[in-house]
Amino acid sequence: MSTFAIDWYIIALIMFIGFYSMLASRSIVRQLIGLEIISKAAMLALISAGALTDNLVYAQALLITMIVIEVVVVAAGLALLVKNFRVNGNADVWNLDSLKG
Amino acid sequence: MTYHTLLFALAVCFALWAVMAKKLLTSAIMLALLSVTVSLIFFNLGAPWAGVFELSVCAGLISVLFIGAVSLIRTEDQSRPESRARFYALPLAAAIFAIAAWFYLPAFFEELAGWKRMGTGGGNIGLALWDMRRPDLLGQVLMLAAGVFVIKSVFPRKPQASRGTGVNK
Repeated sequence: MSTFAIDWYIIALIMFIGFYSMLASRSIVRQLIGLEIISKAAMLALISAGALTDNLVYAQALLITMIVIEVVVVAAGLALLVKNFRVNGNADVWNLDSLKG
Repeated sequence: MTYHTLLFALAVCFALWAVMAKKLLTSAIMLALLSVTVSLIFFNLGAPWAGVFELSVCAGLISVLFIGAVSLIRTEDQSRPESRARFYALPLAAAIFAIAAWFYLPAFFEELAGWKRMGTGGGNIGLALWDMRRPDLLGQVLMLAAGVFVIKSVFPRKPQASRGTGVNK
């Protein structure tokens, strides 16, 4: 079995852990941690595919874009967390709809 | 090969630990360690620029953001903790997934690798970023502007009249 197949198998496992975290918890912090773990798995898949096809230069350029997007998503998510905490006094994701209006 | 596999195994361990940790601060620190491990994998795969960005931005900046947010809500989280049963079930669920996926995922990925189209492998990261992927750079600038706009709209400036009233909205 090739290294690529084993790498992607482990990446799928990491992605499963991230999805589980997002499904099992109602805390916004743990949801974001799950999202980060999924994002790490996607980054590993991208670079691994780049290494397989000898296209690491483009894979890295795309990954830098992905990191920027990830930072913005996390910053916006944590801003919503702080706002939710100020308004509702907790970090429950189901209370986010009380922020509307 | 051994070093490569060890790094992937470490990444799985840190991901599990980040999800299962009781304290949010421990979760944030484990996420940072996961980022460090991922950046080491990038270096090992021959992608130093990706490793440097991952190490500085994900392991550095995002961890600081997480630790700052966690320190804000830590007392509330400790006073009303979530049920831990679902998190303690994670290793079992992950093991079931790993065993079930072992029978079909590696074979599928082997087939996927057979369809690969080899790239040229030439050029350098500067050429790729500044000459060939300019729309990406524009997209990055727009994303950063969108992030600033989101934070600005989540925390609007208070109207002059309501200042000093103690109302925290």
